[in-house]
Amino acid sequence: MISMDSKVKVIPCSGIGKVYGLMAREAALKTVHELCPEKSEPVCLAWIVTGDQEVKDKIEGRDCITVDGCPKMCASKNVSDAGGIVVEEIKVLDTVKEHKGEKFGSASQLDGCGEIVVSEIASKIADRINQEK
Amino acid sequence: MAEFKVGVISCSGEECLGGTISRLATRKVLDELKMVEPVTLCLPLYLAGGKEERNFARVYPVITVDGCHKCCAKRSTEKYSGKVSGSVDVSEIIGEENALDRKTVRNKDLTAEHTRMIDRVAGEIVKMIGNISPDAYSGKTFHGCGCNGE
Amino acid sequence: MVEKYAVLPCNGLDKCAGVISREIALRLCGEAGHEIICPVFSRIAEVKYRKIISEHPLFVIDGCPTRCASKLAVEKNFKISNKITVTEEAKKSGIELNDTLQLREKEQALIGIILNDLMNTGNKVTQTIEETGVSCHFDYETFQKGKFLFRVPVNKEIFFNENDCWAYVSGNRARIGVTDFVQQNLSDILFFTPPEMGAEIDQFGEAGEIESSKSVFELITPVSGKVIAVNEALIQKPELINENPYELGWIADLELTAFENDKELLIGFDKYFEIMKRKVNDLNG
Repeated sequence: MISMDSKVKVIPCSGIGKVYGLMAREAALKTVHELCPEKSEPVCLAWIVTGDQEVKDKIEGRDCITVDGCPKMCASKNVSDAGGIVVEEIKVLDTVKEHKGEKFGSASQLDGCGEIVVSEIASKIADRINQEK
Repeated sequence: MAEFKVGVISCSGEECLGGTISRLATRKVLDELKMVEPVTLCLPLYLAGGKEERNFARVYPVITVDGCHKCCAKRSTEKYSGKVSGSVDVSEIIGEENALDRKTVRNKDLTAEHTRMIDRVAGEIVKMIGNISPDAYSGKTFHGCGCNGE
Repeated sequence: MVEKYAVLPCNGLDKCAGVISREIALRLCGEAGHEIICPVFSRIAEVKYRKIISEHPLFVIDGCPTRCASKLAVEKNFKISNKITVTEEAKKSGIELNDTLQLREKEQALIGIILNDLMNTGNKVTQTIEETGVSCHFDYETFQKGKFLFRVPVNKEIFFNENDCWAYVSGNRARIGVTDFVQQNLSDILFFTPPEMGAEIDQFGEAGEIESSKSVFELITPVSGKVIAVNEALIQKPELINENPYELGWIADLELTAFENDKELLIGFDKYFEIMKRKVNDLNG
C-alpha cells in the first residue's frame, strides 16, 4: 500500500461562482475517489492559503496536481507559494475549449455535457498520476 | 438610497464533508433566495488577493460559511476586509463528527441525509441574511484610480 | 539597447534556431551584463525570477514561429518589452540555417548580426514594439457594481463607439479592443477569432470575434483602417481580454485611412463612462 506521504496531492480551486469551479472540484473528487484512490488524495486549498501548518507539512516538497477553474490559477499559484511541487497544472478551460458551443450546467449543478467534461479532466489527472508511480 | 447587497463567502474545503455542505448550502441560498440578492464571493480568489472580492467585502455586509472549526472564510474576511456581519459554522449545525468526515462527495452521490444537512445550513444562512439591516452598508463607493488601494 | 534587460530565450534543443537563441542570450548576459531567465526553471518555479522581472524590461528570444518563449512569458504574465524570432532574423539577413545543432560559420554570422543590431543601433530593438505607435499603459476611472469593477481608460487619444469598443490613436495608427463592459458581461472568454491581416475595414465594420460560453461578441471597429497587426497572444490565451482588455487584451492595430471623418462619430471618455454606467445599471437592476 502506498503511504499517505507518497500519494500525489490533488488540489482543486473549487471556486463557487462559476460552473468551471464546480468542474474542477468534481474532476478532482472523481480522480481521488474513483480513478486513483490508492495513489492520490485531496487537499483543502483554503487550509493551504491560510497557512495551516499540518497541511503545509503535507504538501511541502511533495508532488501536487492542481485543478483550476479559471485563468486566475488560484490553486496552482498558492500551492507553489506554499512549497508544493506542482507537477501538473490542470486548467478546466483547456478541456472546455474542446467542447465549443456546448452548455455545461450551472455553478450549482452540472448537466450531461458538464459531466462528460469532468470525466475527461479526471482522466487527464489520472494519467498524470499514473506517470508518477 | 444606494443599493443594498449581501456578500456570502463560503468555504469549499475538499478534505471534509463540512466543506461540501458549506458550498452546497451557499449555492442553494444563491439560487433560491429572492428577497435580497446575495452575491457570492469566491474564497480561493479572495485569499489569493482578488481585488473585486476584497473590495466588495469592505463595502457591503458579508456572511461567512465555514465547513469546520478552522473557520478559514471568517478569519480571512476579518483579516482582509474587516468584521463580518454574520458567520455560520457548519460543524455546529451538523455536528463536528459529520463535518470532519473525510469522505467528501460529488453532487451526484449526495444522499437524503446530505440534502437534509444542506437544507438546515441553508436555513441558517437565510436567517442570518434576514437579520442584516441595510444600515450595515457602509455607503462607500469606488471611483478613482484602478488600484483601489490594496 | 536599454540599460539592462531580463532575457528569456527559448532554449529549443531540437533545432538550430533554438541553439542560436540560447547562444544570443548567453552572450548578451556574458558580454553585456543582462540577466538571464532560464525557461525551464521559470516554467516550474518562477518565484526565483519575479524580482528580476519586476526590475528589468523583458526581452524574449524565440527560435522559431512556435514561439515557446513568448508563450511562456504570456502564461506567466510576464510583460514582454521586446522580442525577436531567430528564424525571421535569419530570413531578413538572407541566411539559411543548417539542419544540425552545430553553430557553423553562417549561424555564427547571424548571431553576430543580431548582437550587433541589438547592441549598436540603440532604439532599433525597442521600435519593434513601438512600430505600431502604441504604448500600453493607461490611467483609469472605475465604476463598481456589486463586486464587479468596470474600468475606462482616461486618455484624450482614446475614442469609443456605442458598441463598447475602443480605439487608441497614435499618429496614423490605432490600436483597437473591447471595453470592460464587454469582458465582464461575457465572463471567461474562451475563443478569439482575429481580423484578417491586411484586411481593409470600414468604420463600424467587423474586426474579429470573441466568444465565451455565454455568447459570441463581434468587435465593431471604431475606426476605418488596414489591419497591420493582431494580438496573437489571444489565440492561445483569450482570457487576457478578461485580465485587461485595454492593455494585454488589445485586439488589433490598424493603419488609419479616414480618421478625420471617423472622429465625428466617436465619443470620448466622459460620454462613454456615463453610457457604460447606465448600461451596467440597466443590466443589473
